[in-house]
Amino acid sequence: MSTAPTTAKPAPKRPVPVPNTYVKAQPYWDGIKEKKLLLQYCTETKQYQHYPRAVSNYTGKANLEWRESSQKGAIYAMTLTRVPQPGFEERAPYPIVTVDLDEKVRMIGLLLNCKPEEAKIGDRVKVCWEVIGEGQNYPAFELDR
Amino acid sequence: MRPNDIAIVGYSEIKNVVKSGQSNFDLSGAAFSKLMESTGLEPSKIDGLAVTMPLTETNAFYANYMCDALGLSPTWLLLSALGGCSASGGVARAVSAIREGQCEIAVVLSSDNPTSRPRVPTGGYKSEYENSVGVQGPSGFFGLLLSRYIAQYEFIPEALGKLAIAQRDHAIMNENAVEKLRIPLTMKDYLDSRMISDPLRLFDCVMRCDGANAMLMMSTEKARKMGFKKFVHPVAYAERSNHLGHTMQPDITETGFADAGPRALKQAGMTPKDIRIFAPYDDFTVALMLKLEQIGFTERGKGCRYIMETDFSHKGTLPLNTSGGQISAGQPGLAGGGLNMVEAVRQLMGEAGERQVENAKNAMVTGIGGIPYGRNWSISNVTILEPGK
Repeated sequence: MSTAPTTAKPAPKRPVPVPNTYVKAQPYWDGIKEKKLLLQYCTETKQYQHYPRAVSNYTGKANLEWRESSQKGAIYAMTLTRVPQPGFEERAPYPIVTVDLDEKVRMIGLLLNCKPEEAKIGDRVKVCWEVIGEGQNYPAFELDR
Repeated sequence: MRPNDIAIVGYSEIKNVVKSGQSNFDLSGAAFSKLMESTGLEPSKIDGLAVTMPLTETNAFYANYMCDALGLSPTWLLLSALGGCSASGGVARAVSAIREGQCEIAVVLSSDNPTSRPRVPTGGYKSEYENSVGVQGPSGFFGLLLSRYIAQYEFIPEALGKLAIAQRDHAIMNENAVEKLRIPLTMKDYLDSRMISDPLRLFDCVMRCDGANAMLMMSTEKARKMGFKKFVHPVAYAERSNHLGHTMQPDITETGFADAGPRALKQAGMTPKDIRIFAPYDDFTVALMLKLEQIGFTERGKGCRYIMETDFSHKGTLPLNTSGGQISAGQPGLAGGGLNMVEAVRQLMGEAGERQVENAKNAMVTGIGGIPYGRNWSISNVTILEPGK
């Protein structure tokens, strides 16, 4: 009888984004290096959009510039994640929130630095930063208290 | 639409199985073979094919490969890539193709095997802006959606439980349902089931499996000439993609059904009260409730009350997914979008056996395709079917 070799599976890793895969958005990726959240701003309708796109979703034209977000908003929806995604095993269960930023765009992120029961829909939050992959900043949220 | 000129004259479905180990060509072949047997059609007569793009084979050549796998040489070929709307959207597009004379006899064929093969990465913006966040896939997004509904409207957990139980009772009568789901579900089981992505419970969610289904379509005139006796006519169809897509903070509980539902009903000259059988796409129970509200069976925010007062059994006032729906028969990936339509066709042909609905005079079938970022789902479609006379 032979003994099967014990091959430990490598721990799953949290996915790390490859910038500019979806659309060219270098200012966004440059911004998060400095913990700044840059949003696209439609110069014609004077409205923001997020995530970045090739055209303004309001006019269909590329009349966009980049402006810095206040990084503040309110929880719009919230779920407690029971089945961890790859790279999140040690955190489960962990809360995820949809946030309405004050610039009138929506962002989805982890809610950090509180117990899930401390937060509810409507609560004010601000962006906080995690380091993922090889030193890449990535936005998350925490209660603004 | 001209209601009675096009007919679905045949259908087939294979048993839903978890980890079948089969490819999409195996599964589609099995459904196609059953369709050829049940209709007696010679495959050389088929000149139209709509193929649902599966989760596991998002391949630009997939429809060509399917023609090759089945030995078909169609004059009209469609790779229908509308997520869970692919099968019903394929039927609607086949209606147009037959009317335009691009083909005469079309098959709408769906298979998927997400429990046997890895799903292809979803692409788009997701790798940069979504996947690093750690959202628990579809159940994470529907957990977010349900949390918002609860914040805005009256919520009774037992209402969603009632939907799950009604469909489970139907799955027990469906020999093609995933075998391990064919056991009774009680309200206690539902309420005690573990949270998946709060406030979403286990029994609010589909269980993935492998499976396949097919429908055969042609003009009613041709069907009569060929000797078919049973027809089901698609009498109305409406679709909406990326609902409220030009806004950045839409009400996430607002679905494309608020648009597609009333439009389909208007085409058919019906109101919600006229619908006899409801066969909605059911990935999560909350989706069923939102559709009941926004198609107009009840008002916004009154979904729970309406559900508590309505009998959804096959003997009830609004029979709901009488084969168990995807939640209780299993969700064979994107082929799941065809399951509830096949059941509606079966009901309207009077072939549903012990779960047959009396006076099956019409059915409304819906589809849902795609889960976007910070919005409601991507594609909503509504088909209304009537039996031929």
